[in-house]
Amino acid sequence: MSDIQQTVYVVEDDEAVRDSLELLLKSDGKSVKTYPSATDFLRDYSEDMAGCIVLDIRMPGMDGMELQKKLNARHSLLPIIFVTGHGDVPLAVDAMKEGAVDFIQKPYREEALLEKIEAALEQDREQRKTLSERQEIVRRIKTLTPRETEIMERMIAGQANKVIAIELDISQRTVEIHRSRVMHKMGTHSLAHLVRMVLSVKDLIDDR
Amino acid sequence: MTDQASTEPTVLLVDDNAQNLKVLYETLKDRGYRLLIANDGEKALTLARRHQPEVILLDIMMPDLDGYQVCERLKENPVTADSAVVFLSALDDVDAKLRGFSLGGADYISKPFQAQEVIARVRTHARVIRLERALQERNRELESDQTRILNAISEGIYGLDAEGNIAFANPAAGLISGCSVDELIGKNFFELHLLQPRPCSGNLLHPSTEGGETDPEGLPVQATCSQGIAEHQRGVTMHRADRSTFPAEYRATPKKEGDRLTGAVVVFRDISSELENEQALEDARNLVQEQRDQLAHASRMATMGEMAAGFAHEVNQPLTAITNYARVLLRMLKADEPDTELLARTLEKIEAQSHRASEVVRRIRGFVRKPAVGKEVLSVSALLEETRQFAEVDARHNDGGVEIHVADDIPEVVADPVQVQQVALNLIRNALESTRSAGSRASVEVHARMSGEGTVRIEVRDHGEGLPEDAEQKLFLPFFTTKNEGMGIGLTLCRSLIQAQGGEIGFERPEGDGAIFFFTLPVAAANPS
Repeated sequence: MSDIQQTVYVVEDDEAVRDSLELLLKSDGKSVKTYPSATDFLRDYSEDMAGCIVLDIRMPGMDGMELQKKLNARHSLLPIIFVTGHGDVPLAVDAMKEGAVDFIQKPYREEALLEKIEAALEQDREQRKTLSERQEIVRRIKTLTPRETEIMERMIAGQANKVIAIELDISQRTVEIHRSRVMHKMGTHSLAHLVRMVLSVKDLIDDR
Repeated sequence: MTDQASTEPTVLLVDDNAQNLKVLYETLKDRGYRLLIANDGEKALTLARRHQPEVILLDIMMPDLDGYQVCERLKENPVTADSAVVFLSALDDVDAKLRGFSLGGADYISKPFQAQEVIARVRTHARVIRLERALQERNRELESDQTRILNAISEGIYGLDAEGNIAFANPAAGLISGCSVDELIGKNFFELHLLQPRPCSGNLLHPSTEGGETDPEGLPVQATCSQGIAEHQRGVTMHRADRSTFPAEYRATPKKEGDRLTGAVVVFRDISSELENEQALEDARNLVQEQRDQLAHASRMATMGEMAAGFAHEVNQPLTAITNYARVLLRMLKADEPDTELLARTLEKIEAQSHRASEVVRRIRGFVRKPAVGKEVLSVSALLEETRQFAEVDARHNDGGVEIHVADDIPEVVADPVQVQQVALNLIRNALESTRSAGSRASVEVHARMSGEGTVRIEVRDHGEGLPEDAEQKLFLPFFTTKNEGMGIGLTLCRSLIQAQGGEIGFERPEGDGAIFFFTLPVAAANPS
């Protein structure tokens, strides 16, 4: 999963800054895609995009903050590095609260920018890894039968086999068989691990 | 003299013979005269002094004072001198008559007299004396008027003869010259006031045939005295009696009798305090101008302060690009076979960006320079375009931005570029701010069009919050503002600046939303230079 192609998406209204940044990042071996406006980027956006966004915070039309909000609404995972000007720190703070990875003030040093981009790409990779792990868990949960799901929920709630058997009016032996199937399907031997796995995808399950 | 009784002419009858008096009285009574009677010389003199009769019928042969003596005494006294004395006497010789006339008698009636003759002569003399008295009264009034005027007038007035000698001077002339009027009379104008020898009278022989201008070499007043040319000069230096000097203004008018030039009337005054006042006024005007320029400059600085973040951005953009390109170049140079064409292209980009940065700096420096450069012939579209680039530092926050529409036929204008730009920028920034506050995405439109002969009108239209209801009364008042931040100086200053360019500034409420602010500027003269 980690060998997926990551791209640096540059959203910048200033033509010279955009052009120079593209050249710079390309010379550093990055895959780069540039957009002159937030609207252009949004038109192109898809969930499959991997990498990070280098986003000018002040732009005519839709500005960087607005784009961030729109992407958040679409559950984008792409880390955003805001490029700010002099005196934009309060804006940048707001942006961080909205989940931006970082911000950098213009004019910046190449090293600083590249470092931040590397960090953002790493975060993107992590997020994608976690996401794929969670997606795996969800996929596994989906393979459980309704009865197995029910038993698993009771296991997570900490009910002993005997209690489960009495409450579901089945034999304790049957509970044990379901239980071992659940552990097998979820790919774990430890109840503690199972609890962690299920809790980690609670939001995804509840969404459905 | 104007007492009630004098509405009728008064006739004094003097004779020592009661019978004669009676006859005379009977002859003249009821003929519109006030009749007085004296039977000796002393009484006659007393009555004459008291009543100043128009006519005195005076008998010559009287005891004590005879008619001649009475006549003499009457003529000696100014109060009685103007009465017409008509001698009455039986004496009918020429010598007696001549003696009477030589003593100032007006006429002579022989005794025994004819009633008709007495009546006719009295009537004639009474009328003559009345007319004479009226004339003298009128003359006195005129003279006193004239004297009053000449005395009251603060200008010095001289009557000069053709040589420039002072024949007349009013009190003010003495005051200005620093000596008495009596001392002035007889002095020569040129010698006294200009410390110059009187001009060669040879000039008198060469009157100007052209009737033309004052000889530039000539002294003040000289042309008037010698050639009869009226003069008016201001700021000439004249001397006082003590030889100290004062700046003067004078008018010289030739005095003529028929065709003959007899001299000049010179009206002059000391203009020291006037010049001082003018200087003070000029100084005050300069001070106002200077302070307006300083206020304008301070206001421009304040505007720059408000726009500082925007300008920092404007400079940082090219600097960022330059830094990026430079890094790219360094990397390219480390390659084994650098792509020289790409290197060159990138260097060109760096150059372009550094121009861009210095352009921003140039624009800022132009805007804050001090003092303002003064009026120039300007292209309206270039000026507005420059201002738009300026304003767009702010317009980055507005979606619509600024649109400039300048009609093709707009001629150049005469104005101070910095100050006009300041006004335009102020109006455009206000419009942008109002648009922003209203949450509108409409652009701010700037139009330049002709407004009547010789005037260009520049209009800034926004679709913002519009104007407050009391805008007419308050908008251009100092310290009135609708903004939370802001001193309320902007528009007041704008008006002062535009008025200094000979233009007007104002606003309108357009149909629909927003506001229109406009100002006018005078078109440059058609003169190709």
